[in-house]
Amino acid sequence: MLNLLKIEMKKMKLGWYVRGAVFANFIILGFLWMVTFTEGKDTFQKIDETFLVIGTFVRAVFIIFGAVLISKLIISEFKNKTILVMFTYPINRKKLLAAKLLIAAGLTFITILISNACVAAAFFLLNSIYGVIPGELTASMVSQQALKMIVFAFGAAGTSLVPIFFGMRKHSAAATIISSVVISMLISSTSPDFSISSIVYIPLSLAAVGLIFSFLAVRRIEKIDVF
Amino acid sequence: MTYIVQTSGLTKTFKGQEVVSNVSMHIRKGEIYGFLGPNGAGKTTVMKMLTSLVKPTSGEINILGHKLTNQSYEILGKIGSMIEYPIFYENLTANENLNLHCEYMGYHNKAKIQEVLDMVNLKNIDSKPVKTFSLGMKQRLGIARAILTKPDLLILDEPINGLDPIGIKEIRNLFQVLSKEYGMTLLISSHILNEVEQIADTIGVIRDGRLVEEVSMESVRGRNTEYIELVTPNQLRACFVLEHELQIANFKILNDKTIRIYDAEASQTAISKALILNDIEIESMNKKHTSLEDYFLSLINGNAASAQGGGDAC
Repeated sequence: MLNLLKIEMKKMKLGWYVRGAVFANFIILGFLWMVTFTEGKDTFQKIDETFLVIGTFVRAVFIIFGAVLISKLIISEFKNKTILVMFTYPINRKKLLAAKLLIAAGLTFITILISNACVAAAFFLLNSIYGVIPGELTASMVSQQALKMIVFAFGAAGTSLVPIFFGMRKHSAAATIISSVVISMLISSTSPDFSISSIVYIPLSLAAVGLIFSFLAVRRIEKIDVF
Repeated sequence: MTYIVQTSGLTKTFKGQEVVSNVSMHIRKGEIYGFLGPNGAGKTTVMKMLTSLVKPTSGEINILGHKLTNQSYEILGKIGSMIEYPIFYENLTANENLNLHCEYMGYHNKAKIQEVLDMVNLKNIDSKPVKTFSLGMKQRLGIARAILTKPDLLILDEPINGLDPIGIKEIRNLFQVLSKEYGMTLLISSHILNEVEQIADTIGVIRDGRLVEEVSMESVRGRNTEYIELVTPNQLRACFVLEHELQIANFKILNDKTIRIYDAEASQTAISKALILNDIEIESMNKKHTSLEDYFLSLINGNAASAQGGGDAC
């Protein structure tokens, strides 16, 4: 399995993903800072809220990135017919698909964690210079937020697998990515009074759905005909 | 008899329609098996079932002594294949594609890559992505990939498609080398009958999803298929001379001008002499033999017996 993960990662060439992720981080940071700086103290009342908005943005973006990974790793193999070659290898089809899904979810999890930490760190660094958001960032606050980030990142990584269901139906990259955009929009709705994205059960439930869809896709793969 | 591939009652149904029906084929170890059939006859589906890409609706496949099931993965390591058309990661180079193939196959002798590229005569491709290759080049690369890990069984679907005549000759020779020197068993489908005729040891003819004939080339060649083809504007009189003067009864009228004489004893000289003496004009007279094409076409039309010739009286 480990070897399979290595081959798949090598084949995919991760450079585009890393570059895309770094670029996305700058965009998220720039956008949030611009809004905060121009709107002033009206934007974020508290540090907690700031963390929430940063996390929501990062997860929304990287759930879509996750769908791009699924599309590149799995859907395109069907679309370009390279799956016809892959399935003639002495490799268990289930293992192969599971490895690809693991890469997509794993990368999404790691990227969300790193991005969340980086964007938050950069944001509060800027805030320490310009002092736009009131309040002080304490160590306990940071450790509490770090724990939240991990749980939410796990939820988001699982959620990023949901589009496999839509993508595999007609082997469509567009369906995969559009479904991820819709999911991202749904789980990221936020208003000053209430925010769906603050309810951890929603991404965790969606993660369960993503895992069920992945399990079904893996279970089915051994029996399907490929043309 | 050691069979590398043996199927029994192999059937595949798509949306209620049988595309492969009750195919029982037998491929012997070390032979080249030519799989013949018109487009849509079911050749590719059978090949896909042999490589586990398509799952049979019913029937059984035994490959290299193992029954093929949904979980038969290990056996796939002993099969090299190129089915339908050569598929690659188009943005990667030939070398990168072959390297990937080695890794997935768990084959570590990467020095072989250059060797197989030389075997298929693919040159000056170092840094070019596969998407810039012509169909012929892709076909060669597909064959190179299929033979890279020295499989016991090689399954190639229309491997000479897109090759020029020189390429066809090279690949034909390569198949002979793989069979005779490397001891590989080859299953090759083609609609270019002449090609199969030249290389196959056994042919299987498939029509409408059914294997209508499985026969060794030796026995096809051994059949009495030599004949003299006579073209004359005076066909009626020629028939009379053949029958009454030369006592030849085994001939067939093909069209207004052409007569085929199947009598093995008949000499061209005697026929031409008798015709000339009777003032019968001869446009041409040639000794020919029924090719696999005739035989194959007759199988497709469902009248194998007539391909071997029979005397139709005038």
